[in-house]
Amino acid sequence: MASITLDNVGKVYPGGTRAIGDVSLDIADGEFIVLVGPSGCGKSTLLRMVAGLESITEGEVRIGDRVVNEIEPADRDIAMVFQNYALYPHMSVRQNLEYGLKNRRTPKAEINRRVEEAAGILQLAPYLDRKPRALSGGQRQRVAMGRAIVREPAAFLFDEPLSNLDAKLRVAMRLEIKELQRRLSTTSLYVTHDQLEAMTLADRLVVLNMGKVEQIGTPLDVYRKPASAFVAGFIGSPAMNLVPARAVPRLPGSAHAGLLGFRPEDLVIEPDGPIAMKITAVEELGAQRLVHGEVGGEPMTVTMSPQAELSDMVHMSLPAQALHRFDEKSGRRLD
Amino acid sequence: MIENRPGLNALAHLVLIIGVVVVALPVWVAFVASTHTATDFMSGTVPMWPGPHLVENYSRMLDAGVSTSGTPPVARMMFNSLVMALAIAIGKIAISILSAFAIVYFRFPLRGLAFWCIFVTLMLPVEVRIVPTFQVVAGLGLLNSYAGLSIPLIASATATFLFRQVFLTMPDELVEAARIDGAGPMKFFRDILLPLSRTNMAALFVILFIYGWNQYLWPLLVTTDSSYYTIVAGIKRMADAVDGLPQWHLVMATAVLAMIPPVAVVIGMQRLFVKGLVETEK
Repeated sequence: MASITLDNVGKVYPGGTRAIGDVSLDIADGEFIVLVGPSGCGKSTLLRMVAGLESITEGEVRIGDRVVNEIEPADRDIAMVFQNYALYPHMSVRQNLEYGLKNRRTPKAEINRRVEEAAGILQLAPYLDRKPRALSGGQRQRVAMGRAIVREPAAFLFDEPLSNLDAKLRVAMRLEIKELQRRLSTTSLYVTHDQLEAMTLADRLVVLNMGKVEQIGTPLDVYRKPASAFVAGFIGSPAMNLVPARAVPRLPGSAHAGLLGFRPEDLVIEPDGPIAMKITAVEELGAQRLVHGEVGGEPMTVTMSPQAELSDMVHMSLPAQALHRFDEKSGRRLD
Repeated sequence: MIENRPGLNALAHLVLIIGVVVVALPVWVAFVASTHTATDFMSGTVPMWPGPHLVENYSRMLDAGVSTSGTPPVARMMFNSLVMALAIAIGKIAISILSAFAIVYFRFPLRGLAFWCIFVTLMLPVEVRIVPTFQVVAGLGLLNSYAGLSIPLIASATATFLFRQVFLTMPDELVEAARIDGAGPMKFFRDILLPLSRTNMAALFVILFIYGWNQYLWPLLVTTDSSYYTIVAGIKRMADAVDGLPQWHLVMATAVLAMIPPVAVVIGMQRLFVKGLVETEK
């Protein structure tokens, strides 16, 4: 168990390309932090810098009280779960779990105890003598987590561990990871591009864009009060509507120049509402209906109940508290 | 192809059968010749069915050999060939897998140069560098020794490339997982890379064993002491009868014996060999 501290961490590749710029983050002991952002935003690089698989060119990473910048991955007291599991294909599940412990000269009895325990937690006991190729995707994923658990590390690092699973299994494994982390209360750093995964798993979210931190906060904080237009558009599904204020002149707050943001579910259908949207497409989701259209030449989406009657136009209003305002140039939140 | 035309099938089989006959007939003739006496083959009609002297001819070759040609018993030559082929195959695999490991997984100064040096040796087969190589081996006093027979043939650019390609297909995450699991470079090599290259090593072993076994020119040059003769070079010496006719029945018996070990290696390692050439999952 340990806290992890990132102090002005940055990464510049030898060619001069900057991957990460000035990230500072304090992760408390036992906290579940999710790094989320679009592909290429540097989230994996940041995780790998904590793991020791990428060098740190600026700033300092501390695990516990120890600066680990120059320490080998094996000596950082971390365990990592990879996207493609990275199980050793020629070893049985048991050997996969044992390998790291054997390399550390852990006593045999202790290795057995930990393997049995992890196998119990992850329901892997019947598969211990199988090779990874004889396991399903979900089971392989469990073995990969088991390999992390048996190490009893100060921190777990997850690099998009669920992206290779099908949608249904992903939801199930998401819950399992969450429960597991609660139970072991091991500090965890988790990378994903899936905002839903990020929302459901995280104690706190770190939203990254182009190697920079856009916002750090609890999932609800980030959802309710996005710090920038980027976060607003990235977190939440369906995505928040972001339109220039001049496109919706009758909304409160449209007086200022800038971007207005509001969530599709916050729009209220009202026959003489101030927003008139021309409908261009409809997506049926069963429980609700996503209606796409345009207002003043800007694309907009609204969720409606499946019972509502549809015509060419829909009129809506918006409660004042559901409106977010962003600076048009910097994209930062205004208020 | 889901075509089903009987005529086409028959034609395909005919072509294949002709091919097999063309390849197999000389082998059959060699075997038949090795079961007759010397005079049977000189009588004008070549027998096509095995004769009664199989045991006699083979046991004579294995024990005594043809004394007039100056070759030792075939058993001795087969042993020499076996030592040479094994040394070449194992030596080549050991050296090339290590150099491929260095080239793929380490960043060291002049790595590019080292890589290209290996690459250039591809263009220089034994025959091209045979005179300087002989000079070196002679200078080192390695003539008439197993070391002299095998060491100059051990360095292999081809095998290094093969292993390089194999290593390049290993997912990076495997290396990273091993690093996090506390495996140093050599431990990673031993525990992960070697077992995963097992089938490739087997495939290469088959090819290299046959390469080593079939060496002709080099053993002919570096061995003057008959106790170091290899079988492939020995056959040639037997066929060169100085006075009188070559004893074809005995030469053919030797040839048949010389064929057995490579065939045994291919059959014995067939499963691994095919796996090594087609397997892609890592």
